[in-house]
Amino acid sequence: MSGIKASAASLPVFSTGRVYAAIKPILWLTLGLAVIEATVVLFEIRPYYLPRPSAIAANIVATPGAYISGLWRTVLETALGFVAGSVFGVAIAIVFHRWTLLRELFFPLFVVSQTIPVIAFGAVVVLWFGNTLFAKAVISFYISFLPVTVNTLLGFNSVDPRQVQLMRSFGAKDGQILRRIYLPAALPQLFVALKLASSLALVGAIVGEWFGDTTGLGVLLLQAMYNENVVGIWATIVVSACLGMGLYSLVALAERRIVFWGNEQ
Amino acid sequence: MMVSMNSETSRQIARGIAGALLLAAIWELSARGLKLPAYVLPSVSSILSGMVSDAGNLFAAAQFTAAEALAGYAVGCLIGMAAAVLITMIPAARAVVLPLATAINSVPVVAYSPLVLLWFGMGMASKIVMVAIAVSFTIFLSTIAGLDRVDRRSVDLIRSFGASRLAVLWRLRLPTALPLIIAGMRVSTVRSVLVAIVTEMLGAYGGLGWVIYQAVLQIDFVKVWAAIIVASAISLAFFGAISFIERRYVFWK
Repeated sequence: MSGIKASAASLPVFSTGRVYAAIKPILWLTLGLAVIEATVVLFEIRPYYLPRPSAIAANIVATPGAYISGLWRTVLETALGFVAGSVFGVAIAIVFHRWTLLRELFFPLFVVSQTIPVIAFGAVVVLWFGNTLFAKAVISFYISFLPVTVNTLLGFNSVDPRQVQLMRSFGAKDGQILRRIYLPAALPQLFVALKLASSLALVGAIVGEWFGDTTGLGVLLLQAMYNENVVGIWATIVVSACLGMGLYSLVALAERRIVFWGNEQ
Repeated sequence: MMVSMNSETSRQIARGIAGALLLAAIWELSARGLKLPAYVLPSVSSILSGMVSDAGNLFAAAQFTAAEALAGYAVGCLIGMAAAVLITMIPAARAVVLPLATAINSVPVVAYSPLVLLWFGMGMASKIVMVAIAVSFTIFLSTIAGLDRVDRRSVDLIRSFGASRLAVLWRLRLPTALPLIIAGMRVSTVRSVLVAIVTEMLGAYGGLGWVIYQAVLQIDFVKVWAAIIVASAISLAFFGAISFIERRYVFWK
């Protein structure tokens, strides 16, 4: 008992500021939700346009199973597509960097394919891979690897050729030069693309589920829409929003840890 | 354009075209050689002939989608820029609005589409609203980033010559911000077509997304591919137009 008391007493001495910084967003969020709740009640806004935040929360709490299994499914699809897309994106960038002929033959196609509304492929991909988790991950993958490739190449191009020459004169091999110079140089640009790719991968997963599935956030959205269940739509939007922000902050956290020298563009 | 091309760029263009032809040839050969059924991969030639025979239908759908994307894009750009300028003029609002906008921007836009469809109906209005939402956040964030890029000392200098807040904005901040704003506009072109198509897939009376959805139901995959190619052509043209304006008018950078 005394140990707990002692540590509790010593806590605020050095961390009041930090505790406040952690609580501040929660305070703002609570305040914002309270304002919305009050506005809806006061002006008698119909739930069809904006349900009370408490009703949305109650909806999630009433049937947590559907939201949790939907969230889990969408997380898996997004994560699989995002990781595969990032790895493939960097690998393709390395290949294009090594072999100029390949880059000049196919890079313009990659850029053009960036303007293709990838979602249109959803139907074809689901047909190719069946109505599986894998098919949705493939859509996420396709939608997320292009920005990664483009930005990694941009990062490679920012390398000072004299550095490479210096390393070479010391007898460094290609692999070493890649690991020690090119990859670190590309990291800041790479993370800009990864943040974009994380939200794109989520869009890919959700839309992929529209082409027919039984679980997932996209399915919950569709079902709520067909039933004109506005509270259900809002509840799913809230869950998707949390997922989107969570993914984004995970990548941003990794960026701060890994690219500690800051993101100079 | 009367820009003299050096051999470097002309070689790159030649190779780019060669790559596209190579891909088309591999596609055609594998579709024909392996006798792939149309639902797996129709050959390029059958897609092209499908496009020709269904040209009227596809053209009408393309017009529909392009109109939605353009209208939403224009509204979204205006709202995004106006909001960004407003926030820059009122520094107090920034601390609240900017984190909020960044957070909302990381929410998948498509999640709103069922709600927007219920509110604005199945017609064009719902697609225009969706495109405007998607575009305005991108433009807002890139305009803010651009307006912030201005050198503090330049602001102090022209303020010391008696320039008003508005003059600082018009003569200094906007020209400095323009390259980033138009870069955001370039990215948004593709996004606007994509969002219009996705929303059409959920419910519409016409448009490419609707054509794709119907063709999937009818298991007509030549038509799906034809619509995909038309959709790509639209976003490519849109993207090209904004890039052209960018090269032409934002010469400082």
